[in-house]
Amino acid sequence: MSKELNIWLDDLLNDIESVRFKRKSSRRVRVDVGSEALPALLELLQGRASYVHLSAITCVDWIDDDEFELVYHVWSYETRSLVSAHTRVPRDPGVYLSIYDLYQPAAFFERDIHEMFGLYFEGSPDMEKFILTEWNGPPPMRKDFDGEAFVNQNFHWEQYHPQWLKDIEEEGGGITTRPEDVR
Amino acid sequence: MRPENYQARNQPPSNEFELNFGPNHPGIEGNYAFRVKLNGDEVLSARADAGYLHRGFEKLMEGRLWIQNIALVPRICVPDPVPMEVCYSLAVEELCGLEVPERAQWIRVMQLEMSRLAAHLFAFGGHAATTGMYTPMFWGVADRDLILDRFEELTGGRVYSIYNIPGGVRREVPDGFLERLGSLLDYLESRLPDYDNLFFTNQVFIKRARDVGTITQEQALKWGVTGPNLRATGLEFDVRRDDPYLVYDQIEFDIPTEPGGDALSRNLVRRSELKQSIRILRQVIDRLPSIQGSIRCPIPNPLAWNVPAGESYARVESSKGELAYYVVSTGGDKPYRVHVRGPSSMHAVQVLENLAVGCRLEDIAQIMFSLDACPPEVDR
Repeated sequence: MSKELNIWLDDLLNDIESVRFKRKSSRRVRVDVGSEALPALLELLQGRASYVHLSAITCVDWIDDDEFELVYHVWSYETRSLVSAHTRVPRDPGVYLSIYDLYQPAAFFERDIHEMFGLYFEGSPDMEKFILTEWNGPPPMRKDFDGEAFVNQNFHWEQYHPQWLKDIEEEGGGITTRPEDVR
Repeated sequence: MRPENYQARNQPPSNEFELNFGPNHPGIEGNYAFRVKLNGDEVLSARADAGYLHRGFEKLMEGRLWIQNIALVPRICVPDPVPMEVCYSLAVEELCGLEVPERAQWIRVMQLEMSRLAAHLFAFGGHAATTGMYTPMFWGVADRDLILDRFEELTGGRVYSIYNIPGGVRREVPDGFLERLGSLLDYLESRLPDYDNLFFTNQVFIKRARDVGTITQEQALKWGVTGPNLRATGLEFDVRRDDPYLVYDQIEFDIPTEPGGDALSRNLVRRSELKQSIRILRQVIDRLPSIQGSIRCPIPNPLAWNVPAGESYARVESSKGELAYYVVSTGGDKPYRVHVRGPSSMHAVQVLENLAVGCRLEDIAQIMFSLDACPPEVDR
């Protein structure tokens, strides 16, 4: 049963234009699809091929290409295989469509991606801040946000250099390698 | 959520009021909060409020070497850290095309099941405490400590073992370890009837937990519920069997299910899984001595290790549900992107928000503990 479904799925995906399809193993499929066709592909996978479980949505910031890559991992309890659908959207203006209508777990992942990468999902039920409630800076998971530089700019190493440490250092001990020497 | 951000609101007199449930509350797991709207003690709506445990693991991992991240990942989930290490290692191994020796795979299974036992003991103890029974919690934590002793002997660390690396495990199993693990399993098995008498067949617990936080199978699939919570709705699914990793396809075990979908069923599934984990561990004890060979495959110098470019998605069954790592490499000495999919990112947010509506205030804690939600997995 599951083998037949797999073969059927392979044929189906091969037939669709603008979809590049690669079977990585018996239970892993990679699909590359244009951003305009992705919701339709997911609808097809869910409605006609039993991929009912959205495992995760991952965002990858390809800053050199000026694009975000979105990866939708969907799992089928029947065929026991996982399809990872990859698509790319431009970083600017950073807007894409929500798939909440198809998969309700998307609400969490889309909210998370909006908060961490600044990519807005139209139609998602809740785009409010969730984890970084008191953060007013740029979305921190973007590659152009340098966490270390932010720390150096806003915090002072001197504050964490108390007298007792200075005493130890005078005797030749203390922090021998500073973070900036390591990196 | 700082005090200065709060302002008293002028509201018309009504029975409805808003309550901040958490972040420091005995009925909340970890630092996590709910903004609950109440009418009397009936919940009208609940909004999850996360972020108290955010440490930016995913960003931190992008700035550290592949091998350094091993020390970072187990900290994402305190009660059940081993699946984190194993899942990350599996993802990196897939990128590098490393073949993990069979002996290392069996050792990993042993660790994973020990961790599952420890996490389940913690989970049912926590649930018992929310229903006013503290003795099961003390028992559960005390027995978990005996498992931590074995972890300490095997890995050197009690909670965070940092024992798995891409390619295998760090050290060989100590002499006599399997015998001591075997006698620990005998002890834990002898404790199961005690747990039953004290907790699982206790009318106080059954009456309190039945029909609380009920999820139907349809809802479970719609909301992305996984793990024991999904099995408590009657669906027989387990990543270990249906998407096997390591040597789980060579091991015999049952997948316990319960039809109810409520807090009671979820605990009964965990109760049955304790037995299954013991069964798996006994098979490991039988098989491990006969499997000779090294415990890790050769890897490049870990301090100058450039992992080939590519992406991989590794999944394991943690004690809380489906745990997955998506790892992207561009061929450098650090990951380009690591995404952690913790099972609780569904259970603690969307599922709990949905289940809380219509229940009574005192049941929120029970529902949260019965889902075995782990807030650090949400915040990362």
